[in-house]
This record gives sequence, structure tokens and C-alpha cells, in this order.
Amino acid sequence: MTKTATRRGAGMVLAAFAALMSSAAWAEDLTMWVRESAADPGKLMVDLWNSSHDNKITLTAIPDNQLVTKLATSAQSGDAPDIVSFDLIYMPDFMKAGLLTDLTDQLKADPHYATHIQAYKDIATYEGKTYGVGFTPDVSVLAWNKDLFKAAGLDPEKGPATIDEIVEDARKIRALGGDTYGFWFSGACPGCNIFVTSPMMVAAGSKILPKNGDDEALTGDGVKKVLEAYKTMWDEKLIPENAEVDTGANFVSAFASGKIGIAGTGGFLISLMKREHPDFNYGLTLLPGAEPGQVSGFVGGDVVAIPAKGKKEAAAREFVTWVLSDEAQLQGLAKNSILTTRTDLADNEFSKGNDKVLTTSKALAAGYVPWVFHFADMVNSDSSPWITMLQTAIFDGDVDGAIATAKTEMKAIAAK
Amino acid sequence: MTSRSGYIGLLWLSPALAFTALFVLWPMGHLVWLSFTSTSLLGGGDFVGLKNYTTALSDPKFWAAFKFTLSYTLFITPLLMGLGFALAMLVAPNTPLRRITRTVTFLPVVIGLASSSLLWFWLFDQQVGLFNLLLVKLHIIDAPLVWFKKPETAMIAVILSVTWKVVGFGMILIMAGIQSIPADLFEAARIDGASATLRARRIILPLALRSILMATVISVIGSMLAFDQFYLMTGGGPRGKTFTSVYWIYQNGFIRFDLGYAAALSVILMVVIMAMTALQLRLQAGGRNG
Repeated sequence: MTKTATRRGAGMVLAAFAALMSSAAWAEDLTMWVRESAADPGKLMVDLWNSSHDNKITLTAIPDNQLVTKLATSAQSGDAPDIVSFDLIYMPDFMKAGLLTDLTDQLKADPHYATHIQAYKDIATYEGKTYGVGFTPDVSVLAWNKDLFKAAGLDPEKGPATIDEIVEDARKIRALGGDTYGFWFSGACPGCNIFVTSPMMVAAGSKILPKNGDDEALTGDGVKKVLEAYKTMWDEKLIPENAEVDTGANFVSAFASGKIGIAGTGGFLISLMKREHPDFNYGLTLLPGAEPGQVSGFVGGDVVAIPAKGKKEAAAREFVTWVLSDEAQLQGLAKNSILTTRTDLADNEFSKGNDKVLTTSKALAAGYVPWVFHFADMVNSDSSPWITMLQTAIFDGDVDGAIATAKTEMKAIAAK
Repeated sequence: MTSRSGYIGLLWLSPALAFTALFVLWPMGHLVWLSFTSTSLLGGGDFVGLKNYTTALSDPKFWAAFKFTLSYTLFITPLLMGLGFALAMLVAPNTPLRRITRTVTFLPVVIGLASSSLLWFWLFDQQVGLFNLLLVKLHIIDAPLVWFKKPETAMIAVILSVTWKVVGFGMILIMAGIQSIPADLFEAARIDGASATLRARRIILPLALRSILMATVISVIGSMLAFDQFYLMTGGGPRGKTFTSVYWIYQNGFIRFDLGYAAALSVILMVVIMAMTALQLRLQAGGRNG
């Protein structure tokens, strides 16, 4: 009897010890990198994960322009973080270079992946294999200042529905005089413009970037249409003079100053304005094309992936699965006015009645993301054919010449 | 005996030699090796012989950047040295007020170049920049300028910011040279009735020449390697006209991922800077002998 009790007691102690060990010994500390500009939403997600999981993640924000270098060199030296969140546009180059772990089977088995936004599925797939999922999404939209619209005699509840309407509305707002301008864009920022200017070209029927050396760049009439509209606004001084040299420092602040009528922006503006300018009276609409009903947006934001040859791959995979869960989508993203990456959760308790969030959800569904190699070379570089085309066409006035040169240069880069 | 002391000497030198070999020679050798390959930042690459160098020779953007860097160096060096010399003359005597002036002038040197470039970027801003406001208030300009709209004004803006940042460094080097001149020379000159200008021309300039030339060598190398100030203030604009050589190397290595080509451009720049430095040192030696 005593022996049985002793055995039973010992058994219970062992069981308790085993249970303790199973949670403590298997709990892992994971490292994760996120690019600095996406660190805020990334932190919200990681904090939520850490609050409900034994495996803890330490998040490190890396300056945007250093993330690619750090990831590439660390992956080659075997010191890469367990998880990484980066600008989705680098996905094709990273997948081709073999820097990421193949997640195809895991995602195929995940029921939530079926409703994952198609643009993220596309950008993270190379030669039939999938290497990541959308993490903290964003999409470009058009913002207008309702107070200035009202002052200019325009309907404050209706944003521009075509490219021509942008020009017309900008003229009326500029007519208010002083330092009030109709339109803003960062004229020396390649990344800002691929985000907010290229979707108008796409909406108007153009394709921007070539997939390879045999593919054509800048096809269709949309490119010329948008460049001419911008040139008109520049020539008529509807855009502030310092837009020509802005490398992105005023991408958001120009509109937030209250002196700009219309500007391209991103879904991130909603939480930013709510936090810093809660009384600012503005509206959001989809980036328009040449005709009413033509709309598009650039699907941006970060994807999350696992660097190849990671030492804690199993634990990192759990996080990727969690990113698509209801908890992450609703409590991590939607609750913080960030778009969900699952279409079935786009209409949720947090977005109900929030027109701005619903607009960005629509933009996400209508948006595009170019699947190309050498994106940085074609677009993001300070001397890229993309930014050179914009500047030559808008500020120097040679629209046709600018397009022709950019076509040739983009094709040459794509052929590399 | 001689051989033994030679070995001992080598032993004493070995830590410095090992340090130089590990942190200077090996990376330099690796850089040269990379320049003969098509290595990508994302991994992979093959030996391509002289291809990167032949590409560089016919790369108009690299040579445009090189030409711009050279003109920047030619503009800023005399300014830094002239101002540095004038300030050094002013603060060389050890009086309390001059010590304070010396410290204040030297303070910006300890600020990071990136921080000072950002500071000046906003000072030059058209809408909120205090520099524009000052010029308008002084009636020097009618309306705030967009300084980075034209290459010429962008260059002036960068030169102003860099001068503020580094002039104190040249001042300190030259001042050390001036302070090492024996005081009795000045005293004898004064007794002989030599004016301040004559003392500066006949005593200070020749005897502090070594320090001045050393400051010039350091300044020229710094200017030829200019990057941060242009990256942060002009972004290479307008229309890519303020790209420096190092900025163009950065674009190729870290934006286009083409490490092999960026290495070849770096080797070319290194050779040019070494040649310029050798020429300056030769002039320095010639000046001393003469």
C-alpha cells in the first residue's frame, strides 16, 4: 500500500517534471528581422505572438536600405535570423538566389492559405514553389483633403475618379491661392512613385516592367496619359516647387500639412493620421485610370519568410502558420487598422463602418504587384530608368523621349 | 648580432604587421579578386577576367560621377585649407578666448557626417529651412530657394555643410604646425620690424607647410571618397548629376547587387587616389627640399 502510494507519488512527480520539461525544454527563442519602415506593425504582430506562445521572438528592426545586404551576407555565412520580414518586391531575387526555405507543402496543407490575397501568393512563388506569405500588408490609394475640396467648391465627399479629374480638381484647389497646392508627389523618390504613380498607369491599361529581355516594358497608353497629366500640373504650378527634389522625406508630411489637395499615399496613412492628426478631414479612394471605373493599386508591404538552412526551422514554420490564423489577422492586424491578408476576413468587426479601411481592402483586391527580377535596378535605384523617365517627362517636358529611353534601359536590365 | 636584433625588431613589429595584413592587405586582396568575378550580393558568380574593367572604361555614368567628384574636390579643398589656415592663425596663441574659439570651431568635427548632413538638409529646406529664412530676412534672396533643384546650388549647399563640419579638423592640424614653430623666430622677426603679413608669409607658411600639406592630403582623400553628404542631401539628384564615385559604387554593389563590378570600380578609384596622394607627397618632399 505504502509502496503503491510511493510509486504513485513518484509517478506524479515524474509526470509533472515531464510536463514542465515539455513546455520549458522545447520552448525556443527565435530571432526575427523586420525592415524599419514596417517595424511598427511587425512589432504589434510579434508582441501578440509572444503573449500567447512559449516560443518567444526577439524582433530587430533593420534600416530599410541595409536589410537586403544584411540578409544576403548573413544567409551566406549561416548567421541569418530564424524569421525575416522584408519588402515583398525582393521576393523574386531572393527565391532565385536560394536564400529562403521552401514552404509549399506546409502552405498547401493550411486551410487559411486558400483565402490569402492572390498578389502575395504570386509574388512568393517561384518555379511552382512557395517561399513566404504576406505579413504586414499595404496598398496604395489616393487621398484628398475634404476641407480644401469644400473651400474650392468641389464635392468634399467625392474624390477624383479619373486622371483628368485629378488635374481639374487640382486646378480648382490651386486657385485658392497662397501656399495651397492641388497635387503632391515626391519627384525624386523612385519607390514612392512606383507605389502611387504606376497604379494609375496600370489602371489606364499599361504594363510597367518587363519580365525578361524578350518582354516589352511600359506598354499601353496609360504611361503617356499619366506623365502628360503630371507634366500639365507641373507646368501650371499646381504642384509645389520642392516636389521636384523630394526624395521621399515629404511623401506623407506634405499632405498632412493641410496645404495639399490630392496626393497618392498608402493604407498606412489611416493609422498614422489617427495617431498624429486625429481631426484631419480627408478621404481615400482608389487610384484611378483614364476612364471612370478603371482602378488599381500597388500591393506592397512585407512578406514573412524563413531564411534557408535555419537552425530553428520547425519553430519558425509555426509562426508562419500563425500569421494566417484568425487571431493574427483580426487581433494583430485588423484591430490596429491594418489590412488583413485573408480575403475572407477583410470585412470584420474592426473594419465595419470604417470607409477608409474598406477602401484600402478594395484597393488590395484590385491591386497589382510586378513579379520581376532586378526590381531595384529598374525602379528603386536613384538612377533607375523608372525615376529618370518620370523626371525627364514631367520636369524637362520630353514625354515621348523619356518613355523610349526607359523602355530600352528596362529591357536591357531585364535581359541580365 | 645584427641578424638577432633584426629578428627582435621584426618580433616587436609583428602585432602591427599582423593587424595590417588582416585588416588592410587581406580585404584589399579580396577586393581585387572580386573585381575579376561576376559575384552577386545575393551569392554566386564566376571568374570573368577583365570584363568588369572594360565595362567600367565605357561606363559613362561612372566617369560622369568621377568628374563630378573631382570638381567637388577641386572646389572644396582650397576652401577648407584656406579657411583652416586662417582659423589656425587666429586660434594658435594660447589665450582663454582663443581656446574657446578653437573648441567651438572643432565641435562639429565630432558630429557624425550623416547627422550633420541631415541637419543641413532640413536647414536648406524650402518650406521649413532656417537657412532660407535667414537669407530672406537679410534680403539676399526674395523667396526661399529649392537648393537641390540645380546641380550648382546643390553643390554649394553640400560644400557649405561639409565646410562647417570639417574645417575644424584642418584648423587643428595646421595650428599644431604653427605652434611647433620656435617662439624666438617670431620674436626676432618682430624686433626686425616684420609685419604680421610678412611673418605669416616668411615664417609660418614655410615652417607649417608640412602640416598644411598633410591636412590637404587628408582633405583630398576625404573629398574623393565623398558619399554620405550626397546620399542624404541630394540623393544623387537632380537627374543623377550629383552622383559621386563612391555613390555610384554603392548603387552597383548594394542596389544592383553587382559586387564584382562595384569591386572593379573601387579598385580604379583606389588607384587614382593612391596616384593623387603619391603626387601630393612628392610635392611635399620637393617643397621641403627646396
